[in-house]
Amino acid sequence: MTSATFFRPRGDDRRVASRPAARSASRPAAPQPAPEIAVWDRAVRAFHWLLVATVGVALVTGLWAPPSWHDVHLWSGIAAAVLVGCRLVWGLLGPTYARFSSFRPSVSRALAHLDAIRRNREPRHIGHNPLGALMIVALIGAVTVLTVTGLLVLGGVSKEGPLAAFTSFRTGATALTAHAYVAYALAGLVILHVLGALHDGPVMLRAMITGTKPAGTDAITAPEKPARPHPAVRTIAVAVAVAVVGTAVLSAKPVPGIPTAPLDPLYAKECGACHTPHHPSVAPARTWAAIVAGLDDHFGDDASLSAADTRRIADWLAANSAEKFDTAAANLMRTPSDTDPLRITATPGWRRLHADVPDAVFARRTVGGRLACSACHADADSGRFAARQISIPNPSPETKRP
Amino acid sequence: MMRASSIVCAIGLAAVSLGTAVAEPSAAQKGVLDGYVTTARQEAGFSGPSAERGRKFFFAEHAGGKADSPACTSCHGKDLTKPGETRAGKAIEPMAASVTATRYTDPANVEKWFRRNCRDVLGRECTAAEKADALAFLLGL
Ligand code: HEC
Ligand code: HEC
Ligand code: HEC
Repeated sequence: MTSATFFRPRGDDRRVASRPAARSASRPAAPQPAPEIAVWDRAVRAFHWLLVATVGVALVTGLWAPPSWHDVHLWSGIAAAVLVGCRLVWGLLGPTYARFSSFRPSVSRALAHLDAIRRNREPRHIGHNPLGALMIVALIGAVTVLTVTGLLVLGGVSKEGPLAAFTSFRTGATALTAHAYVAYALAGLVILHVLGALHDGPVMLRAMITGTKPAGTDAITAPEKPARPHPAVRTIAVAVAVAVVGTAVLSAKPVPGIPTAPLDPLYAKECGACHTPHHPSVAPARTWAAIVAGLDDHFGDDASLSAADTRRIADWLAANSAEKFDTAAANLMRTPSDTDPLRITATPGWRRLHADVPDAVFARRTVGGRLACSACHADADSGRFAARQISIPNPSPETKRP
Repeated sequence: MMRASSIVCAIGLAAVSLGTAVAEPSAAQKGVLDGYVTTARQEAGFSGPSAERGRKFFFAEHAGGKADSPACTSCHGKDLTKPGETRAGKAIEPMAASVTATRYTDPANVEKWFRRNCRDVLGRECTAAEKADALAFLLGL
């Protein structure tokens, strides 16, 4: 199938009920049921159902899935964004009812339509009715805002993607709040949209599958416009190429504020003897200074070191403390707890991040306690704590910690 | 004749190497032990390291230390061929020199842990004699 035939609305040859018979003469005159009018071309229908799938997956993984689903969320979101991008092009270059010009959103017309529904005089639109038009714009707008805020979160909080080099944690965190609100709004819009479709009845749903609606003399149609698939495909190809190359170039830029050096070997050996060595970016300089100053009585253990080793570790910790980085871990654990200032696991940030992890999970022999960051965070030694690197070990069959 | 003598020789060698695998400390380990023995000889009443005294010392419940760690076995466990566990929950490699061959080779490291562990268990530093006995015991495992 060439793109030209793919994008041609089905039933092109009987577009309007009152079409002159001359055209249908070229076809065998089969007994036809009520005449159908082509509304949603294949591209619009494919877009619609793919958007249902990608937005559905993105909403579910964003709102409820554990952090290990992070990448599924990311890619379903990117797919939804690409779909919306294609739809924008098709809205300018597609056939009659795909075009934005056939359903200009207008609040006053939407209100008039509502009023008509109330008076039971609802006019029948072949394309989107004014409420539907508003809904389409809102849905596309929500996905667009989610794409932008999502990229800001990815860049500022996860320090990944095209915006990582330019986005601070603070900006990313603000974007995350917005991203969450818009996601809830989108979920609400989806519910309204489904209610609207139910109100319109099975004809509407069928049209999104077969592409056609029964024509009728009372139906409001739009002036016919031909699809221009070739310019559309070219535009989309250029846009995708620009986006891919741009993303690759921007993502390759060095990201400020992320730890790149491995753990100092002396620190890893000495401070890793009794528990996993914590990355220095997870606590502020004053916490590290207090810990190093009190190694003779370190949480009940004698962890004293030679004066030279103490000095070297103290200097290295001070040079790599939370203040020196802009990662999520460094930002969220920078503020010590008032009551237990030496504990990373007592900081309000750590508590909040792990509020959903039950005590019994930390007590698993395969975990080894709260301090064993690397048991659940495969990248703990790097200080990154990426969501995709989180995986809680299963309980081993034989044992729990006594 | 040649052949018979070489077989005897091989058996002899095998026996010797088997012996070293179980109990014979490496040169580095001997060096660490000898360091403590030399110091201990300057303390009163020390005639040489005793693995048996070391065993008793290692398994005894001592007074004066911390409530969490009354004995060396609190962290190292009672079966020294098996891993122990720190108070923070991390596994400690087995103490038996025959199981963990890298043990007791670095004098500074051994001394660092004796200093810390003795303060935790006895509330004071161990004497050179106690350290020599404990090492003789652990090296013989
Ligand atoms: C002799 C064993 C030992 C050594 C060596 C040691 N620690 Fe600890 N550390 C502990 C114990 C025990 C705790 C408390 C564990 C608990 O309460 O679960 C602890 C707790 C901590 C905590 C608090 C963790 C939290 O958030 O609850 C930090 C931070 C810490 N250690 C840093 C260090 C640093 C830095 C070094 C190296 C200079 C070091 N430790 C070396 C035994 C040790
Ligand atoms: C029992 C497993 C476990 C241990 C041990 C653990 N964490 Fe976590 N951590 C998690 C889970 C699960 C999450 C995700 C929570 C969520 O998003 O719902 C998380 C989230 C985080 C995050 C946020 C990551 C992100 O991008 O969402 C940071 C930072 C973090 N942990 C740091 C630490 C540090 C530091 C330690 C050690 C002191 C530690 N964790 C120990 C399970 C663990
Ligand atoms: C609070 C827990 C704890 C207690 C109690 C404890 N140890 Fe240890 N010990 C450790 C840890 C942790 C190490 C370092 C483990 C490693 O190197 O794998 C260690 C290491 C040692 C080492 C050095 C091993 C080497 O490879 O060089 C010696 C010797 C030692 N301990 C002896 C003792 C003796 C003797 C006692 C009793 C007086 C004792 N320990 C009690 C935790 C403890």
